Amino acid sequence: MSNTPYFSIQQLTKSFRKTLAASDVWLDIQQGERLSLLGPSGCGKSTVLKLIAGILRPDRGEIFLANRLLNRVPPEQREIALVLQKGLLFPHLNVGENVAFGLKMRGISRAEQETRALAMLEQVQLGGFAHRHPSELSGGQAQRVALARALVIQPKVLLLDEPLSALDASLRSDMQTLILQLQKETGVTMVIVTHDQSEAVVMSDRIALMFDGCLRQVDTPEVLYQQPCDQTVARFFGGVNFFSAEAQQHQLSLPGGDTLITDYPQQGTVDVTIRPERIHVLAEAICSTNLLPVKVVQNRFTGTQRHLVLKTPDRLELQAWVPPSQDFAIGQSVFAHLPADALWSFSPDSQLVSTLPQTV
Amino acid sequence: MTRNITLSLIVIVLFLPFSPLLLWSVADGWYFPQLIPDQWTLANWSAILTASTKVGEGFLQSLVIAALSTGLALLVGLPAGRALGLLDFPGKGAIKILLLLPIMVSPLATLMGIQFILIRLGLSGTMLGVVLVHLLPTIPYMTLVLSSVYANFDTGYEAQARTLGASPIQVLWQVTLPLIAPGVVVGALFAFLISWNEFLLTFFVGSGRVFTLPMVLFTSLQGGNTGVTAAIAITSILPALIFLLFSSQALSDDSAIGGLGDV
Repeated sequence: MSNTPYFSIQQLTKSFRKTLAASDVWLDIQQGERLSLLGPSGCGKSTVLKLIAGILRPDRGEIFLANRLLNRVPPEQREIALVLQKGLLFPHLNVGENVAFGLKMRGISRAEQETRALAMLEQVQLGGFAHRHPSELSGGQAQRVALARALVIQPKVLLLDEPLSALDASLRSDMQTLILQLQKETGVTMVIVTHDQSEAVVMSDRIALMFDGCLRQVDTPEVLYQQPCDQTVARFFGGVNFFSAEAQQHQLSLPGGDTLITDYPQQGTVDVTIRPERIHVLAEAICSTNLLPVKVVQNRFTGTQRHLVLKTPDRLELQAWVPPSQDFAIGQSVFAHLPADALWSFSPDSQLVSTLPQTV
Repeated sequence: MTRNITLSLIVIVLFLPFSPLLLWSVADGWYFPQLIPDQWTLANWSAILTASTKVGEGFLQSLVIAALSTGLALLVGLPAGRALGLLDFPGKGAIKILLLLPIMVSPLATLMGIQFILIRLGLSGTMLGVVLVHLLPTIPYMTLVLSSVYANFDTGYEAQARTLGASPIQVLWQVTLPLIAPGVVVGALFAFLISWNEFLLTFFVGSGRVFTLPMVLFTSLQGGNTGVTAAIAITSILPALIFLLFSSQALSDDSAIGGLGDV
């Protein structure tokens, strides 16, 4: 095994007229890895995907796949398959012909085309659909055919561009399971573009978070949730609690004078965040550290949780998500326990960290 | 029921103007105040089948010229229509107007100049010359039809085909052309019929040596034999009818227009 990564994107840059769609994107991806490109719409993630597929040409930067520079390789020779949001099944071909399309283009014999296409359709649970016309398929079925059409050519990398965003919620989770299962069976390296952080978390080993054409943080879902590199990242992953504090030797001094203890050493003025589900709300002070006396100002029942808004005497607002069994009256005085290992801080002026990829 | 009545009315309105032609072609004399002729004959029809009326020869020449100008117009119209329909570039509006000019300006204004050039090139009075001059009205129509076809074409299909392993040539034959086929049929139909019915351009540039069906019809009209003229006129409508039937079938096939969005 060499040390060079299987699939590597270096310095990738692309602009349309004056707008920078992708700026200095670096990514190293392992063979068989599932990586999500996550970001709000218009952040350039689809552009990166099209650059990888070869549909667009980069202004600058290199793409390497299995030690081969892909920049001058036309899309049909890259061994990278792409599935788009709309599925784009060829309307003049039936389902079987659609799946066999890539094989036909490669000049594979008709008999083998048929066997492989039928086997692939079987794998996406659409055996017996070969003679249907694309217009006779539901949205989910069409996406499964598109997936089969991409996988049948045995690509080295499978690119998925928001493949599930047109489907309704229940269908989406079935498709996620199917995609994960197929990825496991084939061992294909997968890059999936999505704007839905929950989808990215479910679908990938690592998430590359992108804003305004730049990668902001590339890490496992757990790290992005618990240890975001800045406020934007934290907010994108549903972070709601932010307050500034003075940090000194494992201690955080809040403006009101309260002191919190962390196990994260940092100095100076920092932004502190804690995920709402990590805050414990206690009716009585049963421990002594990291405890803030608060008043309940809002209590919203969501079915699976209660979303509480808590206020300290110094008007610091905290949101806490607690189990539905923990019911508190508005105005009730309670205690918020902020576990030391759940507190995360970053300097408020932290520049965009162009996180270099880490191995999984 | 009402649908059948409407349909019959449409057929009657469409074909009524042709009924005198049909009657004339089989009438052995038809004089006022007879409502329909009282004596019938097939002599006019057998006359146009003989070589002396040149109907067969004209039909063949018209067919070759129309097919060639349609093919050439397609060759120009496909890339031009794609550029106008899909791309944005400076001067696009000007090019569209330039394209419409041959339709807007009467050919009479340009024919002298064209004829002068064709004579110098030795193309006047040749079939090639006539084909070239027929491109004048056919290319604009073809390009306009195809540019609106391409404007509704999703190039995502082409990108998708490329990533699946199709070379640019394979994409053209296996994806793009099948998807825009209905539009191509409409454009080709337009071009073919325009060329088929073209009189003035053929008359000048053909200089009497290229003898298409409209030339035969014109000559026969001047000759004053109403029966034969009617039979020739009906013959000259035939391709249009055949084409219409053929294309309406091709166009009603839903699968063919899938790539064209909401056209």
